[in-house]
Amino acid sequence: MQLYKNNAKTLLATSAVISWLLLLVYVLLNAESKLAGAGVPGVAFPFLSNLLNVVFIVSVFLFQRLHTDMLKGIDFIGYLWNLFSKAGVAAYLSVALYLVYRVYINYAEVEYTLLLHVVYQINFGLLVLFLSKAFYIWRQLLLYHKNKFLQIAWDWFELLLAATLLLTLFNFNYTSYVFLPLLALMGFYILFLCTNLKWVAYLTFNNKSRSLVLLGAILLSCYIFVRFFYNMSDNESLVIDYTDVGFLLLAMLFVGTYTLAAFLVSLFSLPTSSVFEQKSEDLLNFQRLSLSIQQGQSEAQVYDMLVESTIKASDASAAWFDIIRNSDPQVTHVLNINESQIKSIRHLLQAYNIHNMDYINNNLGRNPGFRELTLPWKSMAILPIKTSKHLSGVLYLLKDVEGGFDHETVNVLRTFTSQTTLTIENLRLVSESLQNERYKEELKIATQVQESLNPKTFPTDSWFEISTHSVAAKEVGGDFYDFLQLSESRIAIIIGDVSGKGISAAFHMAQMKGIFHGLMQQDMAPSEFMKQANSALSRCLERTSFITSSLYIIDYRMQGFMFARAGHCHTLYYNSMMDDVFYFKTDGLGLGIIRDDKRYAAHIREMYYDYNPGDVMVIYTDGIVEARSPGNEEYGEDRLQYMLKQTYHLEADDIKYAIINDVNDFTGPDNVYDDQTLLVIKFRPIQQNT
Amino acid sequence: MKITQEIKENTVIMTLDGELDASSSVILDEELSDPEIMKYAKVLVNCQDLNYISSAGLGVFISHLQRFEDAQIKLIFYNMQDKVRNVFEILGLDLLMTIVSDYEEARTIANE
Repeated sequence: MQLYKNNAKTLLATSAVISWLLLLVYVLLNAESKLAGAGVPGVAFPFLSNLLNVVFIVSVFLFQRLHTDMLKGIDFIGYLWNLFSKAGVAAYLSVALYLVYRVYINYAEVEYTLLLHVVYQINFGLLVLFLSKAFYIWRQLLLYHKNKFLQIAWDWFELLLAATLLLTLFNFNYTSYVFLPLLALMGFYILFLCTNLKWVAYLTFNNKSRSLVLLGAILLSCYIFVRFFYNMSDNESLVIDYTDVGFLLLAMLFVGTYTLAAFLVSLFSLPTSSVFEQKSEDLLNFQRLSLSIQQGQSEAQVYDMLVESTIKASDASAAWFDIIRNSDPQVTHVLNINESQIKSIRHLLQAYNIHNMDYINNNLGRNPGFRELTLPWKSMAILPIKTSKHLSGVLYLLKDVEGGFDHETVNVLRTFTSQTTLTIENLRLVSESLQNERYKEELKIATQVQESLNPKTFPTDSWFEISTHSVAAKEVGGDFYDFLQLSESRIAIIIGDVSGKGISAAFHMAQMKGIFHGLMQQDMAPSEFMKQANSALSRCLERTSFITSSLYIIDYRMQGFMFARAGHCHTLYYNSMMDDVFYFKTDGLGLGIIRDDKRYAAHIREMYYDYNPGDVMVIYTDGIVEARSPGNEEYGEDRLQYMLKQTYHLEADDIKYAIINDVNDFTGPDNVYDDQTLLVIKFRPIQQNT
Repeated sequence: MKITQEIKENTVIMTLDGELDASSSVILDEELSDPEIMKYAKVLVNCQDLNYISSAGLGVFISHLQRFEDAQIKLIFYNMQDKVRNVFEILGLDLLMTIVSDYEEARTIANE
């Protein structure tokens, strides 16, 4: 297609040049013979000259038609500039040429008819070039935002106009009474077409002023051509008078009328264009606001946009925006107002009880409070950004004229704020759901880690029974327990709780178990273990995290156990000899709270206790004692103690079930807020065979 | 969770109201991280309406403890409910932090 066009263009250009040259030769020969043969034309073939004429016009017009088709886009100023720079200047050239000729004639003081013909012929070429260029550029603009009717109307116009070339071809005089009414009708048709100037509405204020200059220059070109050719038509010596060509007249009528119409419409729409510009900018801003969710912009960026757009939309002279964080306003986006002025206005508003509400005052001067402040502003708009339950910001706009916030402006501003509210709300929802998704995934992994880390079975031995229970809450993960057989008669048992949740808790839990297995290989006392563990954790735990833990080393041969507590829940104990249930209330600081080894050492206590057969030890995490009833009461240490009092005579498994059932009764079904871990250890009587 | 701040001379009185759990501890952390606070020599925390504190909430206090100590800012808790105090005690924090019974006592200790 492109190739075809290029070929066609080359062909048309060649035929245009050849026909023009032939026309020139014809004219010169004719003029020569006119001069020689006393007014009787020697080689007069009007048909030939008309044919060449038509061929030239058709070639140039078709060439421009193809050429203009390739122009795309809505750069209207670009079109106008194209028209002026490539064709409009032709008129000025033709004037220059004619003037040079006149000066030469005056200087030489002879009528030089042949030269006049050359000038006339060149000007004719320029005229056709100008008309064709203008004609098709105007077509491009006229058909902007076209509908089917307009397209058909234009196609007919082009066809009818082309038909008028037939008049020239057959040498009819278009001014005869037969054709005159038809031409008049064409004139009306042109007037109708010239009302299609939609593109002018899309010009901004600046572009309109530039287009006025260009259109003016093009109008002047039209005038120059018309004047030149009508002046020349009086010249007796002309061989061909181009004012006789009806096609050119109509084309000029169209080009001139359309240019004039565009000029006038641009001129008169100039005062209103800033309004339309504002409207379309408002629309764009609305769109940008709603798009910001998809583009993943932050709240701060949305507020930037809001403030910028509202200031432009209302033409405010001063403004500031309060972001509400933790119910405290923070001033951002300050425009032309200082801190003390903001403060005084805020005080006054508070005094009037106008606080974070939609408020418009178009006459601040009438208010005695504002008059006293002697501020330069006369109208104010307060626009809160809030949903039914959440206030996220308040926008303050000030103008230095009275009645600055008219109904229309306020409507636009309110649309902005409601759109912002929606955007902010949606942004929050999106980030929340993303967060939730990530959270769920994390917790799933954490739960898996927790489950895989806690031992499923304890060693069964003849000298003690142990029963374990562990349930992970949906939201919190971090309980752990483990054991290590130190020697044939000694076992180390650890229980603990890592603060925090999700991946990081699971990670620290695994770390803690590593520390347990690593350090206990060296068989150290529980207090020493806590010190070393604290030192190790200090290097890797984040500042807000800590771990509570208790470590027990039970020595069957010695019939006793040693333990140390690092911030973990107190150990519940039943002493069978004294038939008493109590807590070992020892001191001990959680791990990772003090990161100074020496200072930590002062906070850890070790205890040794001789056990009796039948004694029961209950160790657990805070998920048990802090379990809550639907009425928000805590299960508590006392109730746990009471349960052991009731059940100590049972086997370890049964004691555990009794306690867990009681806790579940207390909380109600599906009400586990925190991980619950419970270990029940019951010491058996000494076996005779060991 | 609601946190309110009141400033009296060189003392910040922070009142905690509600449950300090993982989500509300973020707000507490923001409040305590505020550089403004470092301008005052004493921070009194009124725990009268603090009904519950989770490990995340404790973590926030723990993380700021050292910073306050370094800046020689006194951090004093008062009016603490028994069950909340129990949590502090079990963890061993009562030996690191100053927890007193009422406002008067807090003022006296702060002015020492």
